[in-house]
Amino acid sequence: MSDYQATNASSSGVRLDKKTLKALSRRSDRPGLRWLATWAALLTGSGTLVYLSLATWWIVPAMLLHGTLLAVPAYSLSHECAHGTAFRTRRLNEVFFWLSSLIYIEEPTHRRYAHARHHTYTWIKGKDAQMSFHTPLTAWSWFMEISTFGHLIYEARLLTRNALGAFDDEVIEFTPASELAKLKWGARAFLAIYGGLAAYVIVTGAMWPLVYIVVPRLVGGPIMQVFTITQHAELEEDQPSILRSTRSFRSGPIGRFVYMNMNNHMEHHLYPMTPFHALPTLATALQEQVPEPDPSVVRINAEVLSIAVRRSLGLDTTARHIRQADGYAGREPMPAPAE
Amino acid sequence: MTLSMADGWHRVCRADEIDDEDVVRFDLGARTFAVYNTPSGFFATDGLCTHEEQHLADGLVIDDIIECPLHQGRFHIPTGQAKSAPVCEHLATYPVQVTDGVVYMHIADD
Repeated sequence: MSDYQATNASSSGVRLDKKTLKALSRRSDRPGLRWLATWAALLTGSGTLVYLSLATWWIVPAMLLHGTLLAVPAYSLSHECAHGTAFRTRRLNEVFFWLSSLIYIEEPTHRRYAHARHHTYTWIKGKDAQMSFHTPLTAWSWFMEISTFGHLIYEARLLTRNALGAFDDEVIEFTPASELAKLKWGARAFLAIYGGLAAYVIVTGAMWPLVYIVVPRLVGGPIMQVFTITQHAELEEDQPSILRSTRSFRSGPIGRFVYMNMNNHMEHHLYPMTPFHALPTLATALQEQVPEPDPSVVRINAEVLSIAVRRSLGLDTTARHIRQADGYAGREPMPAPAE
Repeated sequence: MTLSMADGWHRVCRADEIDDEDVVRFDLGARTFAVYNTPSGFFATDGLCTHEEQHLADGLVIDDIIECPLHQGRFHIPTGQAKSAPVCEHLATYPVQVTDGVVYMHIADD
């Protein structure tokens, strides 16, 4: 048996009786299918607004709405399916894992193993495969993260290397050897699909892929990042407690829908086998054992941006409204530039 | 019928101590096992996930499947077969008998 301790409820001193956990972890196809039908209806509506606003200034808000409704739920569904918790039927999980990961832009085999590593070593430098920005967060790191440039550059490089079979050391470390061929062919399939779409647009002159998928995905990307950056930014690294490394926040029904209740992110890391539809109940069951959720996604982002700018200017970086690791508060020396 | 330790059989628990579609941990010396009550009957496997060594007794039993609590990899309980990523290596399985309401598992000497 290995001597490492995975970052989860056990490493965080959180307990939940087995019967409650079993009841909360129970799987069903119905909530996932209902969520999917709602998402499809919303995308049809926002896509219609884009169509009706073409060649007018109304295209700006319509595209922002459509992009948000495309990108944020695609991330959320890809994440939920990576855990296999979106649906009870595993095949449904796998089909929608692929489709949503195509929109999110991460090959599914890599996404699953990198995310598994993220759960095993949450926010532990050198071990967590999904620490997507340099810490402590500076204005430049914030820009690369929120703009999605960081994600797009990383994925372009990763897809190319994996398609060539030139795997990074990190990828070899967290992917079983027997899965590397699947990873390689998955990357090739992704590149072929993206390339095929580009060729289709160039050869036929068809604009619909750009108008309804590509541009909205790019426009919605920063909104997607606004949600994901809340998960661990300004929280404590290199220690085993999820309570200190991970953040939950309060959210209204729209945020909860597009983010598949992942505003309860701390609870998700404590008990990752809980499906999205049971996360609010899990959060209630654990509320006496975990810190209060932070305020809204908007308040968190405003404060994280403010802190990142102040840090880059060498000013006081103490958070006023959100949870923050002790080491990140106060006046810090200027961090070294990102590599 | 009497099942004896001398023959490699070990008493795990009373059968009614494992709920339907549930799993318990059973330790013997330094070894750890998972013993299941599934719709197909009682079964036993190694206790740790072959992916990152989490105790499967903390996982979720869904029909004849055990799902690892950390990364949701899945195994087919009766055969120990790895069914879905991130698990790739199969689990070892062990014979189980329920006699007079008591669950026994057979563990051969190393």
